Amino acid sequence: MPLLEGLRLALSQIWAHKLKSFFSLIGVIIGITFLIAVITIVEGMNRYVREDFAGAIFGINTFTIVRRPTIRTGRTTEEQRRRYARNPRLTVHDVDVVRRSAPPGVTVTWDSDRGFDQVRYGERERKNIRVIGASEGYATVQGWDVAQGRGLSPLDESRGLKVAVIGPDIAQKLFPTESPLGKEIRVGPYRFRVVGVFEKRGGLLGGIWDAAILLPFSAYDQTLSRDPGKLDEISVKAPTEKAMNDAMAAVEGGLRADRRLRPARDNNFDIQTSSGLLSAWDKINNVLLTVLPGLVSIALVVGGIVIMNIMLVSVSQRTREIGLRKAVGARQSDVLVQFLAESSVLSLMGAGLGVGIGVGLARIVHALTPLPASTPLWSLALAVALGVVVGLVSGVYPASRAARLDPIVALHAE
Amino acid sequence: MDVTRDLIIVTRGLTKDYQMGSETVHALRGVDLEIRRNEYIAVMGPSGSGKSTLMNLIGCLDTPSGGEYVLNGQAVQDLDDDELARIRNREIGFVFQTFNLLPRATSLHNVELPLIYAGVGSSERRERAEEALRTVDLGDRMDHKPNELSGGQRQRVAIARALVNRPSILLADEPTGNLDSATSAEIMAVFEHLHKNSGQTIIMVTHEYDIAANAERVVTLRDGQIESLDADITIPHAVAQ
Repeated sequence: MPLLEGLRLALSQIWAHKLKSFFSLIGVIIGITFLIAVITIVEGMNRYVREDFAGAIFGINTFTIVRRPTIRTGRTTEEQRRRYARNPRLTVHDVDVVRRSAPPGVTVTWDSDRGFDQVRYGERERKNIRVIGASEGYATVQGWDVAQGRGLSPLDESRGLKVAVIGPDIAQKLFPTESPLGKEIRVGPYRFRVVGVFEKRGGLLGGIWDAAILLPFSAYDQTLSRDPGKLDEISVKAPTEKAMNDAMAAVEGGLRADRRLRPARDNNFDIQTSSGLLSAWDKINNVLLTVLPGLVSIALVVGGIVIMNIMLVSVSQRTREIGLRKAVGARQSDVLVQFLAESSVLSLMGAGLGVGIGVGLARIVHALTPLPASTPLWSLALAVALGVVVGLVSGVYPASRAARLDPIVALHAE
Repeated sequence: MDVTRDLIIVTRGLTKDYQMGSETVHALRGVDLEIRRNEYIAVMGPSGSGKSTLMNLIGCLDTPSGGEYVLNGQAVQDLDDDELARIRNREIGFVFQTFNLLPRATSLHNVELPLIYAGVGSSERRERAEEALRTVDLGDRMDHKPNELSGGQRQRVAIARALVNRPSILLADEPTGNLDSATSAEIMAVFEHLHKNSGQTIIMVTHEYDIAANAERVVTLRDGQIESLDADITIPHAVAQ
């Protein structure tokens, strides 16, 4: 029988038993849905991490010196944890060391993060804001743009002015009808004059930055700092990747010399870059992509077994039809093709539904959360291929049973 | 010479044995049968006489345990499954007691079925199926499904299906077994018409004397052997009356 005829027959058979066909496909649908949804979200996360996130945290061609790693890959041993705990906190003195040892042409910024607090203006209040004391240039290195007013200036820093640049979410909450510029907000007992508002960033983590207050480091150090003289990060931005690597080596050497670390000793500080973050994400990514095939295979094996059973039932219900087809001239291969076409088309439909539901789910996740979604073409090709393979494999046994039926016995079956 | 060329079916010492557990059942014990082209034959015999087995062998649904079977000049006793399927497709049109139509398919599609396996293209398939349906007077029922047709109409669809690939033999197994006597007469009229006009050889298995009476010749079987090659069935018929 020509393949086309087989496919036509398969479609009409499946259509004639719509509900049964649908239920027999649930395993395949779940498997493929899961495959597509996970790949779509992982791939979306991937693009997000590569294109936005890494740059957002560290800036481009920027490295950051911290007391201990903030992003850890793999498991931290007890010994490592103790070692990190012994690392001294960064101080304003370290800023001088970094500035001295870094080659010219780089920008050095630093900041201290008070963590979450609340801010008030008159009767209005916004909770869960981040208070950051930062050097001049910090916002630029981080890629934060000012939408209204101005950013922090060298003068703010040198004079210890109590001014603040606030995130757009805070501006919206505290100043719904008026301009925030020139107004005095309160954090704890201290008053700060608003000089600027940042541009809205949005996105997965943008919400945290959109609700942040940036203060000049000197003012912050005298007022809100939990540990005056200490800071959390020193960032160095270079013009190129090569300059960044050179600066990183120079700064590492400078800090080690200043801290009198002998050559055999490990650094008692940590240097982070966006590539470090990317490798952390890659590890998560690899775990997801390693576990995924296992889960999808389980669903597809179950789906295949269900299809095989449905096909076996179908063969036994249609014994007379098979007998008749053989009587009028169907060869074994014709019957085989007919049933294989049916199981393949069935499974392929399941894969198609799975793709649709998977993409739909990913879209819903995308719409409801800041998680991005992106379905790569290869995953669709994979879904189609898996559908056909599951259909063929699960159809082989029922189809060969049908093909081998004795026409005389089949014709007289009840 | 002329006589042999005119023979469509020749069997010589045809036997068929079945294994039933430890026992061997001899369903056919050496059947010699000759049927001429365009003959109209009825095969009769009590149940267990071997007539179904003989029909299965003649219809190439099964292969004999021994003996020879020459169909339309071709020895078919040693053919494999695929070759038998081809012979069934080209040489034999089956008409069954229970019609055996595909319930979800239209008359037209049911009739097209043998042509699908003959590899005929879809437009020619349709043409020939329509022609076959018109032959059995069902030109106006082409798009009806079996459950929209009467018993007689269903059997006529089945006859059209048997005819559509222009086989040399029409093999009918109790074709009126599921029909009332008026409808049976209708089907017998179709057979009579085919016999007169299309030159088909018709072999019909039946246990009804008045149906068998339509044939030119009646072959009777008993205990797996030919009892009579040209039985006179008028006597039991007369007795019944």
